[in-house]
Amino acid sequence: MKLVRVIDTKRCMGCRSCVAACAVENHFTPEAPWNVMIESEGGKYPNVYRTFVTMNCMHCENPPCKTACDGVKAFAISKNELGVVLIDYDKCIGCGYCAAVCPYGVPQLNQQEPARLYPGGQATPYEALPDTQRHWTHRKKAKVAEKCTFCWHRLEKAIEDGKVDRIGKDPAYTPACDLVCPVDARFFGDLDDPGSEVAKQIGTKRAAQLKREYGAAPQVYYVLEGGEK
Amino acid sequence: MLVTRRDFLKGMGSLAAYAAASGGLFAFPKVGSALGGQRTPEEIVKSTCVQCVNFCGIEVHKVGGVIRSIFPDPGRRDYYNHGICPKGTSGLFAAYNPYRVKVPLKRTNPKKGLDQDPQWLEISWEEAFDTIATKLKKIREDNPSKLIWQHGHGKYLIGDKFPKAFCKAFGTPNVVHRTTTCESARHVADELTWGYHGFLPDIDHCNLLVVFGSNYFEAEQYARWMDHAVTNARERGMKIVAVEPRYSHVAAKADQWVPVRPGKDIVILLSISRHLIETGNIDEDFLITYSNAPQLVGTGGKVLRDDKGEPLVWDTVSETATAYVEGVVPALRGSYTVADAPVRTAFDVFAESLAGMTPEAAAEIAGVPADVIQKLGEDIAAAARLGTTTRVGDVVQRYRPVAIHTWRGLAAKEFGVQNWRAGLMLQMLLGNPDAVGGLHLHSVYKKPAYFEPSKCEYPPKRVDLAKSVFFPNGQHDVCQQVALTLLDPKAYGLPYEPEMQIFYATNRPVSTSDTATQFRSFDKTFNVVIEVNMSETAWMADIVLPDLNYLEAWHLSPTRWTPTTKHTAIRQPMTNVYDIPYDAFGVLWELAKRLDMRDAYVDNINKNWKQKKHPFEKGRDYTPREAVELLWAEKTKGKPFEVALRDGFVGKKLGPESTYLKGVEAKFKGPGKPKMMFYGDHMVRTLEKVHETVAEHGIQNIDLDQYEVAYSPVPIKEHAFPTPHREAGHLPFYLITYKRMYRNQMACDNTNPILNFALGKDTIENYVVMNAATGAEMGVREGDQVVVETRIGKLTGKVQLTEGIRPDTVGISYHYGQASPGFPDYARKGMAVNDVLELHPDKVSGMNSFNDTKCKVYPAAGEGRQS
Repeated sequence: MKLVRVIDTKRCMGCRSCVAACAVENHFTPEAPWNVMIESEGGKYPNVYRTFVTMNCMHCENPPCKTACDGVKAFAISKNELGVVLIDYDKCIGCGYCAAVCPYGVPQLNQQEPARLYPGGQATPYEALPDTQRHWTHRKKAKVAEKCTFCWHRLEKAIEDGKVDRIGKDPAYTPACDLVCPVDARFFGDLDDPGSEVAKQIGTKRAAQLKREYGAAPQVYYVLEGGEK
Repeated sequence: MLVTRRDFLKGMGSLAAYAAASGGLFAFPKVGSALGGQRTPEEIVKSTCVQCVNFCGIEVHKVGGVIRSIFPDPGRRDYYNHGICPKGTSGLFAAYNPYRVKVPLKRTNPKKGLDQDPQWLEISWEEAFDTIATKLKKIREDNPSKLIWQHGHGKYLIGDKFPKAFCKAFGTPNVVHRTTTCESARHVADELTWGYHGFLPDIDHCNLLVVFGSNYFEAEQYARWMDHAVTNARERGMKIVAVEPRYSHVAAKADQWVPVRPGKDIVILLSISRHLIETGNIDEDFLITYSNAPQLVGTGGKVLRDDKGEPLVWDTVSETATAYVEGVVPALRGSYTVADAPVRTAFDVFAESLAGMTPEAAAEIAGVPADVIQKLGEDIAAAARLGTTTRVGDVVQRYRPVAIHTWRGLAAKEFGVQNWRAGLMLQMLLGNPDAVGGLHLHSVYKKPAYFEPSKCEYPPKRVDLAKSVFFPNGQHDVCQQVALTLLDPKAYGLPYEPEMQIFYATNRPVSTSDTATQFRSFDKTFNVVIEVNMSETAWMADIVLPDLNYLEAWHLSPTRWTPTTKHTAIRQPMTNVYDIPYDAFGVLWELAKRLDMRDAYVDNINKNWKQKKHPFEKGRDYTPREAVELLWAEKTKGKPFEVALRDGFVGKKLGPESTYLKGVEAKFKGPGKPKMMFYGDHMVRTLEKVHETVAEHGIQNIDLDQYEVAYSPVPIKEHAFPTPHREAGHLPFYLITYKRMYRNQMACDNTNPILNFALGKDTIENYVVMNAATGAEMGVREGDQVVVETRIGKLTGKVQLTEGIRPDTVGISYHYGQASPGFPDYARKGMAVNDVLELHPDKVSGMNSFNDTKCKVYPAAGEGRQS
């Protein structure tokens, strides 16, 4: 099984709903977003174009972040049985090398204690959910790196429920950002399954990995319009 | 407890101890502390989002009683939305917002103003109801019309049928909705043309979609269906042309952007109509068989009629003027003599009016090259497949796979009705109404009265002057007029002085041009505001009642149809964050009881909701859930309520017969039927009535010359010149407005932390969007502060430079710059563009003129660097 995401920027309308869904699902830490929208404009009036590209962790097959982390003997970054690259907050030493080496600018060094979502306010019931009701990836800490987990808590649940084959098909076992897109521009699933939507999208729309020259072999594919920054 | 402004804000935020002491006003509820285990099971509740007017199906996920996340309801995919927007995704923060109003508040400082501290006093619900009911009783005994009920989004929270039933029972005609801040001119143009309002392009079959200002990729009615439908169609080859001054996300996903000068779209439509007529690219059969284009127009501009009042056409068989009955073959074109007077067909009146509207003439006005206009006309003609039919299922129907679409782009203008009439007439030329791939019309000819001239009532019964001589076709209320009438009732002949206003989920002054004038009217009445948040309107109130949020209340939700689907849905409560005991439904019910009018209220509820098999009973109370159960049963013909609780909705897919044959085919086709109003004969007759009414009553404040322009039977180039364009030529820039995805008119998104802090650094405020070359010419760089000054005011904001806007235009988005001191600073960033927009409402519909203002722009720190 090779889990991949396909993002069709030709379909993407730039709404940032996937960004919002990620933030809510993963207990957003201000200044350390896991999913961002890059809007870029080109051309000269009146011949203009605008592109929308959402960026999250590429969960590379050869993750440079893991290499860097292992290099400083922190061993906080792992690539697990489903190919998901995860950061163990307890092991992270906050050196920032993972952020420095990632070709995609993904890891975010969370500099401060997790702040209240409402500036200066008390915790909302959502924020006050105790650790017992949070996945370990959502127990945020200060001065450690964090990033997109492919919503590991959802994939892990598929394993627990014995429904790995339903990943990308059943909403409960699919990353949050891939569930909310109003224009069906995001797909998640098993590239090794020739009948999967991701396999079809990559084949029919020529979706490709970004910055392949770095050799990281990302597990996120893009259908590009052209002109993206 | 007396609550100062400072206390209000502090209490909303950080004072946990104060929160505990205060009980309901400031405290968050406690989260269950005994919740344990690795994975607490999720509870999933199906419901409907109502943060905007799309009403998307949602799944709300709860963990340990707390709303954890919100996703689109997969069950709704086949009927409406595939996904949800960032507002919907982060909607739980609309409920968990600490800045909400949580208990009834009474103003103790009699001075009203955004610069005044209301000195709120917390009061009990009992005191609030008693105070309000006592005042209402007195008004009802005196003159019930002195009560004004205003709602905006409230219409969609509990539905306008409850407030209308309440006001009917009470005896006031003054129920005022917000449509003149939305799209009422588009609705009225529809109604004047085909007898009802609402349309959608038949996107599944359309090959060319020409969009004149509709932002379905950001914020618009039907956007969450249009977005995926258009994207799919584009993938199969449908072309899109976006005609708009600003390069919106719609333009970004279009095949062509035509940056038209603001307000001048109509001349492009007229020029293309001219092209279609001159080149013979028109559907003559459609115009003759379905529309009034062949009807004969006399020298006074009115359609000739026989003794029975039937309109006359020129019969090419008998060579006489006669009613269009079986056997008659009407002439589409020609000049004739009838009763010794010259007449010509309505079609010819329009065609001849276009004589000067060459592409070059249109180019001069619209600021779009003539060859672009010419090419667009040719593309439309080619795409229309004139003379062809196609089969969809068992239905063979006209095939016209080209459609023109708009919302505020053509509507939010002083001549909004005429602007969209031009779009409709162009499409009638092509014969695309209800054609496969064309413009799908909703509830065609549902109200035949729309084809009759207005009564031009005077003196007005309603404080908003709707359907009076001032706004003869103000068929969707004229919300911004209420304030103006309150300030000077005698000037409009209103035979009473209003004493009390109840505002339900509306931030009326802020959502209207010339905001300052709107606020001044608040001194004239006792004001009750039912609101989730401390909006500007709430800040000006005498009593504020908290309301339940959309995730906390029951309702038979409004839904959106599509050309091939319709559905019935509910909203159900998942939480009650602040233990608020009443929503507006409960407030109305309680007031009806205290006013001893509950049974009359029930009568009107049954009438308004058309509860026949499942009526509300007199002599008893209903909880919100009981009410929704009755409404659901009636609307779904008795479907068990368990279905609503489980699925949130029940949907129906429509076959091609329903999509294509029940509209214009059934209502207008052939002899002996009413006809689509290609020519505005009823507008000519309304204008005549305006003249009579003004003369009869000696009305001084109506400019008849302007009504002549507004009520022209066909759109003309003068409709491209609203008041500021005529009078403020010295101001170099056109100022346009638009919406972004991250905010909407409900004053709650501005506090949502996800929308402010998680989506990017550009969502917490809005910008003065300016062409990069213009900025360079002015010496203005990205992020500089500039002043935007109009004839009524000025504001200061941060510049955003782009290639995606006309050099003669600046754009400022809505829903920023909140002025209520009840919001924290981070939620008040940006500019409130309505503060500086001139108000010149459409005289036909009352539509607010949001996109007509002109301005100058200069660096905030400098002097004299004006462009």
